[in-house]
Amino acid sequence: MKIVIAIIKPFKLEPVTDALRALDVSGITLSEVRGHGRQRGHTEVYRGAEYEVAYLPKVRLEVVVDDADVERVANIIMDAARTGKIGDGKLWIQPIETLMRIRTGEAGRDAL
Amino acid sequence: MRGSAFGRAYSAVADAWLRRLVEERDGLAVLAVGGYGRQELCPGSDLDVLLLHDERLDVDAIAERLWYPLWDAGLQLDHSVRTVREAVAVAAEDLKGALGLLDARVVLGDEALGESLIARVRADWRELATRRLPGLDAMTAARHAEAGEVAFLLEPDIKEGHGGLRDVTTLAAITAATEVVEFEESVGRARDTLLDVRVALQRTTERRSNILGLELQDDLGRELGEADADALMTRVAGAARTIMWQTDDAWRRVRSWITGPPRRTAVGRDLELGHGVVLRDGEIALVDRDLAEDPAALPRVAAAAAHAEAPIERLTQRDLTLSAPTLVEPWPGEARDAFIALLGAGDQTVTVLEALDQHDLITRLIPEWAPVRSRAQRNPFHRFTVDRHLMETAARAEALTRSVDRPDLLLVSAFLHDIGKGYPGDHTAAGVHLVQVIATRMGFAQPDVELLAQLVGQHLLLPKIATSRDLTDPATSSAVAAQVGSVNTLETLYALTEADSLATGPSAWSPWRAQLVDDLVEGVRAALGARTPKPTPPPIAPPPGPPPGQPQVEVRGDTVRVVGPDQPGLFATSVGLLSLHGQDVRTARAASSADVAVAEFDVEPAFGKVINPTEMETELSAALAGQLDLDERLDERARAYGRLRAASSAQLEPHVLVYADESPVAAIVEVRAADGVGVLYRIARTLLEVGLDIRLAKIATLGHEVVDTFYVVDAQNGRPPRADAVARLEPRVIAALL
Repeated sequence: MKIVIAIIKPFKLEPVTDALRALDVSGITLSEVRGHGRQRGHTEVYRGAEYEVAYLPKVRLEVVVDDADVERVANIIMDAARTGKIGDGKLWIQPIETLMRIRTGEAGRDAL
Repeated sequence: MRGSAFGRAYSAVADAWLRRLVEERDGLAVLAVGGYGRQELCPGSDLDVLLLHDERLDVDAIAERLWYPLWDAGLQLDHSVRTVREAVAVAAEDLKGALGLLDARVVLGDEALGESLIARVRADWRELATRRLPGLDAMTAARHAEAGEVAFLLEPDIKEGHGGLRDVTTLAAITAATEVVEFEESVGRARDTLLDVRVALQRTTERRSNILGLELQDDLGRELGEADADALMTRVAGAARTIMWQTDDAWRRVRSWITGPPRRTAVGRDLELGHGVVLRDGEIALVDRDLAEDPAALPRVAAAAAHAEAPIERLTQRDLTLSAPTLVEPWPGEARDAFIALLGAGDQTVTVLEALDQHDLITRLIPEWAPVRSRAQRNPFHRFTVDRHLMETAARAEALTRSVDRPDLLLVSAFLHDIGKGYPGDHTAAGVHLVQVIATRMGFAQPDVELLAQLVGQHLLLPKIATSRDLTDPATSSAVAAQVGSVNTLETLYALTEADSLATGPSAWSPWRAQLVDDLVEGVRAALGARTPKPTPPPIAPPPGPPPGQPQVEVRGDTVRVVGPDQPGLFATSVGLLSLHGQDVRTARAASSADVAVAEFDVEPAFGKVINPTEMETELSAALAGQLDLDERLDERARAYGRLRAASSAQLEPHVLVYADESPVAAIVEVRAADGVGVLYRIARTLLEVGLDIRLAKIATLGHEVVDTFYVVDAQNGRPPRADAVARLEPRVIAALL
């Protein structure tokens, strides 16, 4: 099993979750986060005062999937979240040692 | 069997059981204490029993005969064995012990012995009330902080929460201590509602829990005969709010009873606030009970209560409940002004509206309010019921009134934006229709009605677009710009969004969301080609032919017109005199040409006194000639009413905006400040002091807020003022208003 973590633009959340639902991915965890990558934020003039927006609002998405589905899920997130412009975000995949469902105690694939 | 009937039946069973265990004898009594004493036992309740004796008997054996069967039966027993002296000492030391004994009841045994204890505890409680109630107050506050508000929590604790059953017991204890609080019938009904729910809850879960879990609400709703969980939670919220409001009101009365009357208003002396409303012994009252029938009385009393941070006197509130008419189309202007002032009092707005709602008085103002009362919103996003959310949104909007050109429309849209939630269909669409009807009835002009409908219709637009569209795409900003139409509307919508989100819950206005909305608004501002919004030029009242030698005053209805030779200070002096004679200047227009000046004031006589034109002409001439010290007399008046300035907005610093390049002939000065005695006079006088002459003025009072625009020129040469004069202006005006 793997966990797929993606940092995406907030407005891409809906297309990404719609696409994941179509794939029958059952559990998604979201967080509202702020950060920057190579773009290093940008500077804005806000109500007359210039200030630096070092961290931009992003959404962090986490999905746990079976090994067999990892590639499909990663690709669908990439496709749905891409605008082709700077700041589209990142996606990475990590292995999972153990997965358990707290309510029942089921483990491994059964807990997905 | 439900609620209170169950409590009585269960208590009767327990009584009978105890009677079988111990035989009656002198010098020994068994008392039911606390909830058992009140016969309010629920399935999971403790049996709180006191074995009282007079030291003559061997009570140990009796106690064993009593406790063991109860333990064996698996009952939760809270037991004690005491003499009268010991029990009195416990009540004197321990608040919880005292509260339990206040509700005690003799179940069996020596009735005289038991009653003597109860009488003693009650007498001590009453006698030592001023010493003991502060402790109970602190204990209650700590419990509220811990357990939260029953009416608004998703999973409320219906016993310990603010507005829960424990508060009813506390209220009864307060009424046992002092007459300043009465135990209202409505509290009894609310208690019965919560008891119904508590019995059903403990029966369903077979536990002692008092927390109304989300997963239980559907089943409990069905069991209690409600249509669904929403209906159940709406009923719980309604009951809890009654208890919460009565509790808060009781503690407020107790605190002021303990501290004694405030020194600033001597007992029995009324401080007149105008229009028959007075501050009497720290409470807002109507001088004449018949005034309650006046359509403007209810909003006026409410606005006065909010801005003076004083409660409404009981008799006045009863008179209003009996006689205040339901407002019909169109509202009198004073009623609308007072209502907007009520909405613009920050946190006090919520306090007063909750008080009105306890007597269903909000529906006298807005009958469409009824379906949103206590309406539950069962999701983790919303902190409040719909009606409380609307009150909170108005309160949050108050802090943003300075950022919009029409604070009145911001406040009204904040208060009504979700009113559609009480109606079928999409709440926004329903709300748009309702706000048109309501705003028209309130007497708003057609363009204002349309703007209010637009604000309600678009109240979700900014957060929705901000989180679902690419904000870097210029098409996003221009699409929103096209929908919103103008910068003024955008700023109002932005303020409404922020107020709505803050009143919704902590997650609705996280820095994350706020930044997205900020970014969007910034883009839309640019798309609308906005710089700072321009003040609109005022209507010019054309000065008539040759100037009169002395100022002339003409009074027509509520309009006072002053015409005189154009001389510095005519406007300021007129304003000062009107204020001195108890006239609220609601709007004003002024214009001057080379040698003649004219000013028109729409006034509202705050104390029923009409201006005498001849008298005012004499005083005007005297003041202009320096023979009448207006400043001194106005300061005196302001001191008398100073504490009644707009409660919350008085804390907002006045805004002064100077536009030096908007007009080729004059500089434009826009001042936003809280309304109060002599505010306009102080602004006008400051302009005069820095050597500026008012060419045009447009004065508007929007609820509690004044929005004044002046076109000013250099008094020496009649040309636009120099940059240094303009730079001096802002700090001077602010200083004059603080």
